[in-house]
Amino acid sequence: MTPAIETISLSRRYGRMIALDQLNLRVERGSIYGFIGPNGAGKTTTLRLLAGLLEPSSGEIRLSGQRLVPGSGQRLVGYMPDFFGVYDDLRVWEYLDFFARCYGIPSDRRSRTVDELLSLVDLSSKRTAYVQTLSRGMQQRLCLAHALVHNPPVLLLDEPASGLDPRARVELRELLRTLREMDKTVVLSSHILSELAEICTEIGIIESGKMVISGPVDEVRRQLQGGAQLRIRVLHSVEQAEIVLRGLVGTASETLPHLRNVRLAPTEERTLIIELDEADETLQTRLLHYLIGQGLAISEFRAQAENLEELFLRLTAGE
Amino acid sequence: MLHFQLNPIIVKEVRTRMRGMRPYLILTGFLVLLALTGLGIYQLMLQQARFGGAVLSAQVGQALFRGLSFVELLLIIMLAPALTSATISSEREQLTYDMLMATPLRPGQLLWGKLLAALSYLFLLIFASLPVFSIVLVFGGVEPRALVKTVVLLLVTTVAFGAIGLFCSSLFRRTARATTVAYLLVVLLIGVPLLIGAVWGQFSNPPGQSPPPMLYYLNPLSALFAVTTIEPGVIEGGFDPGMMPFIAFDFSTGGLPFLHLLSSGVIFYGPAGVVVIPIYRATLIGYSLMTVLLCWISAHLVLPHRRWHLRWTDLGFALLLIGLGAVAYFTHAWWYLVPPPLVMGPAG
Repeated sequence: MTPAIETISLSRRYGRMIALDQLNLRVERGSIYGFIGPNGAGKTTTLRLLAGLLEPSSGEIRLSGQRLVPGSGQRLVGYMPDFFGVYDDLRVWEYLDFFARCYGIPSDRRSRTVDELLSLVDLSSKRTAYVQTLSRGMQQRLCLAHALVHNPPVLLLDEPASGLDPRARVELRELLRTLREMDKTVVLSSHILSELAEICTEIGIIESGKMVISGPVDEVRRQLQGGAQLRIRVLHSVEQAEIVLRGLVGTASETLPHLRNVRLAPTEERTLIIELDEADETLQTRLLHYLIGQGLAISEFRAQAENLEELFLRLTAGE
Repeated sequence: MLHFQLNPIIVKEVRTRMRGMRPYLILTGFLVLLALTGLGIYQLMLQQARFGGAVLSAQVGQALFRGLSFVELLLIIMLAPALTSATISSEREQLTYDMLMATPLRPGQLLWGKLLAALSYLFLLIFASLPVFSIVLVFGGVEPRALVKTVVLLLVTTVAFGAIGLFCSSLFRRTARATTVAYLLVVLLIGVPLLIGAVWGQFSNPPGQSPPPMLYYLNPLSALFAVTTIEPGVIEGGFDPGMMPFIAFDFSTGGLPFLHLLSSGVIFYGPAGVVVIPIYRATLIGYSLMTVLLCWISAHLVLPHRRWHLRWTDLGFALLLIGLGAVAYFTHAWWYLVPPPLVMGPAG
């Protein structure tokens, strides 16, 4: 199937500085793609290139298989910039009506479109309020609604959750899920990984203008972890458990998993984190059986998923 | 199906332009200032009559017309760049520029929508001032032709000075800088020619020569002075008393203070008498060319990328500029007028 977005060796320079270096990106239709990277990694440049606001220094962009030429992509994408502005002196409905006019939506459809979008972003009750009176979260949703005014198949959201309080973030997440159900392809960027982990189907990690890794979230996690972690909690005598487990580190056994490291969980009592070479469930079951056989009273035994933040930090450490 | 749609920028600007107190305060201030000017001029005329001067009703009408026109022009000169110098830069400052550029809205639409919306407010001010101007009719003395010329000059100046603000707004990212540079350009157009004209005679050879009219071609004040000065009727060997103007060369300012400063480059004293050079003709042509040129450059400056790549709109601008250039070339005898040889110094 033709991907919604594809970039081929996409580069962008600002003078001598390379903001984006040979980026090859592929975003499948209907996915929510999270673009992760530290500040200045090239996320905004990529999104601005996809929105047609910047011209590539080299390489090409394809939207739904069509090569993007300047001025051709506006109807295919909806773009929400990282620092968005709102016209303070407009009412909420006028704001959307203005952008609907910019996209050439005929008058007979405009009013309906505005009402539908206000309903989608839960701002119907604020229809006649001035934009300046809305909260930051409401303005963010209004800005998202403006990007949807022409019903584009692709949405580009630059740092959509920045500056939002926890409640507004949850609302935004719900809204993104709704958009996915509407079969929209959403590309969003963030430097806060926890924002993206729960909603994205695919992620790409970018640093210094280069894509470090890209793919479905679980696959990326698996690739980055390169093994597995187990979390074990004992009822008492964590020291004994640690001795037993340390005895297994580095030993070659066919019936038990290969342990790389054992450490105490820094924030929890009677809890150990074990790093394994591979995530094999059979071997993990045998390990549990072995530990019980050693007389340890185990109250919790489960795979510990390293969060994206830790993975990202590990991946980009020392660069 | 084809459907006509108003420029979205105009719709938005018109919706928001008259919101709040500010536009009404400006309008009120503008009209109050004009009314006070009219009252002041009338009092001045009365004072002249009290001190023994022969002041006719028509002279009062002419002085009022001239004074009000100048005040209106000054207000336009001050307001037009202020209203347009924020048009594009404010979109950048408000962070809405990217959102606009991400829509199919063309930079040309953005530009002319902004310009027209800003100017429409100024046109409203001009229109609203007509009742104040109508007081001139009570006194008479103003030809309808002079009235039409004045209105045309005011409108063309409004557009040209609006284009200066628009150009600066497209060039600079910050409104404060755009406004400052716009006013610097205004000072350059108005103040510098007047300054050069003031010292011209001291450096000319032989000394005491009048500056050439060309120096004032882009100065709207000089142009308005030319429009509102009635050339005395001339007959063989002297002035025709029957065609003697109410505002004669020795009363060329209609008794209004400071206006004599503008006579330089406009009023010349030839062997056949006083000659008023209609430099407003060159001003109209010059401002039309300047407006098209500034809008052309601005249309490139607002582009987010590929700013200087040629586009189809360039062909339109080029054709317009060539057309105006051709008009200027073929009508040069109409607007390029050489003053008669000097026989005496300028009045005032």
